[in-house]
Amino acid sequence: MTTVTNKTDNTGDVRLSGISKTYDNGFTAVHPLDLTVPQGSFFALLGASGCGKTTTLRMIAGLEEPSSGTVHLGEQNVTALPPYKRPVNTVFQSYALFPHLDIFENVAFGLRRRGIKSVKKQVEDMLDLVQLGEQARKKPHQLSGGQQQRVAVARALINHPKVLLLDEPLGALDLKLRRQMQLELKRIQTEVGITFVHVTHDQEEAMTMADTVAVMNAGRVEQLGSPADLYENPRTTFVANFLGTSNFIEAEVDTKNGDDIVLKAGGGKLVLPEARCSAPTATGGKVLVGVRPEKISLTHADDAGDIPEGRNRITGRIADSSFIGVSTQYVVDSPVCPEFEVYAQNIDRDARLVPGTEVVLHWNPAHTFGLDAAQDIDAGIQEEAAV
Amino acid sequence: MATLTEAPPPLTPTAPEKKPPRKRGRLVPYWLLLPGILWLLVFFALPMIYQASTSVQTGSLEAGYKVTWHFATYWDALSEYYPQFLRSVLYAGSATILCLILGYPLAYLIAFRAGRWRNLIMILVIAPFFTSFLIRTLAWKTILADGGPVVGALNTLHVLDVTSWLGMTQGDRVLATPLAVVCGLTYNFLPFMVLPLYTSLERIDPRLHEAAGDLYAKPVTTFRKVTFPLSMPGVVSGTLLTFIPAAGDYVNADLLGSTDTRMVGNVIQTQFLRILDYPTAAALSFILMAAILVMVTVYIRRSGTEDLV
Repeated sequence: MTTVTNKTDNTGDVRLSGISKTYDNGFTAVHPLDLTVPQGSFFALLGASGCGKTTTLRMIAGLEEPSSGTVHLGEQNVTALPPYKRPVNTVFQSYALFPHLDIFENVAFGLRRRGIKSVKKQVEDMLDLVQLGEQARKKPHQLSGGQQQRVAVARALINHPKVLLLDEPLGALDLKLRRQMQLELKRIQTEVGITFVHVTHDQEEAMTMADTVAVMNAGRVEQLGSPADLYENPRTTFVANFLGTSNFIEAEVDTKNGDDIVLKAGGGKLVLPEARCSAPTATGGKVLVGVRPEKISLTHADDAGDIPEGRNRITGRIADSSFIGVSTQYVVDSPVCPEFEVYAQNIDRDARLVPGTEVVLHWNPAHTFGLDAAQDIDAGIQEEAAV
Repeated sequence: MATLTEAPPPLTPTAPEKKPPRKRGRLVPYWLLLPGILWLLVFFALPMIYQASTSVQTGSLEAGYKVTWHFATYWDALSEYYPQFLRSVLYAGSATILCLILGYPLAYLIAFRAGRWRNLIMILVIAPFFTSFLIRTLAWKTILADGGPVVGALNTLHVLDVTSWLGMTQGDRVLATPLAVVCGLTYNFLPFMVLPLYTSLERIDPRLHEAAGDLYAKPVTTFRKVTFPLSMPGVVSGTLLTFIPAAGDYVNADLLGSTDTRMVGNVIQTQFLRILDYPTAAALSFILMAAILVMVTVYIRRSGTEDLV
């Protein structure tokens, strides 16, 4: 064995080529999919339940046989290998700890199966890493949900897998514990440097933890990128709605002005940087103009003259407002968009902004993105409440 | 939005109804238990006491029996009928092991592999109960009859040579041999093994199998380290439900066996119903009961089931 591990080592790459899964009953859970997860990254598969993310993960683990395509770990084609021969480990949803074994033996299970005799030191070190040294001789059912979750992580990590697969590992925990474990998992991943592939339906979880997120919908990857990139430059309405909230205005391409496109919406004009438009931009074409609620400023109609030039603006009437501490959320009824959402920081609150007030909404054109108008505006909404 | 002028709702709306529990309410569980207790008293405790007293009586049918605390009956019964006791344990033990060997794969299949056939197979397992125990055992008499297809096949395959050498059969016969009795017991008590095994296997989360596979356990190791240990409650209750009634059974030995295969159940039956020696019959019953109690206690202690989930 060489003593120095090469930094550009790619043995922990996960490469999926044309992988798909169709069940006997004809249901296609995953459509042919190409995906490369680079060594050492924290990768999240994000989507609503039934979108194929768990099936994809199970195909990497070998628990599900792909209908087509191949799975490579580094240079090795593992498509035909049974799970117990693959250098990957899984943290299962609801953990799947062995109820008849104590914590120590649960963690030692993988080592013992590989014929390693002296496991004591390793298991104790691993239990210390997840702060469960005291609980070694307890049975899984004697631990709390958060502790069980850490046992599941320890049981997988102790085998030094090339890739760690996490299947909704935090789904069963309450909100506060979930936030804490997210940071904990991120810390462990940074410490051990193993490739993590994390499946979740919680967009906030994916954004907090992952370097790269693949948003899945109906068995396909809708978009892949860094959390900030997905949030700022969604390419489909599904991604725009699934990650946070978006407002859409249906507009028609009017002219081009340098790098910008000028669009007609209602009676007014909107400006959109061409680089941020994923739709065709021929004159007369329809485009969905999107903008995030927190990018928008709200000004009372009487003060409309104070708004600087060069900003996109639309008019409307406040339909509802709710104060939630760090910000105030307004719903504005506008001729171009019936329920326009605006989140305003509570820095200089204008006391006149109450429901029924006529207002002008304005934002920097650079914060505008354009999508193909031929898709469902509401795709990806509501998933947050489900599951 | 809610206004704050309203008083907050009381935290525990049920609080005002909380009065000190009435006596009648506390007694309800005991009233509910009463029918069961009465049943046990009349049909279990009283007969036991009656039999216990019978076992220490002396006398004759003509002169009547009297309690004389004649404990020697126990010793006499044991020294005369110990071969039948040993045979009972041996036959019941063999049948239990055979049931486990046959029943485990069946229960495993139903629990994990049967899919939509699960209910059908379960019905097939229970179906024999729709016919009387006696009729089914008599059917075995026909199946194992001399010169019948089963005996012919076993003979051709030279299986009977092996079993004869082991002392389980004699010559070309299967009927009226220990093998026939053990086969009958195995057949009759198989469902009592399969049902508890199925119940405990079915409770195992299939993800535990996946987790074991994911942690480098081959399918055989997964079975040895995860599935089997988790099915131990089923193994223990299945073996008990098979062994205990099989050890006291006399129908199989009576119909499928011969005078050389008499079990303790046969002796008790004969003593009670033909010879009418009630004290000996009662003493034999108590010895059998005590022996089974001891064996079961040792078995449960050693298998350590109280440790399991």
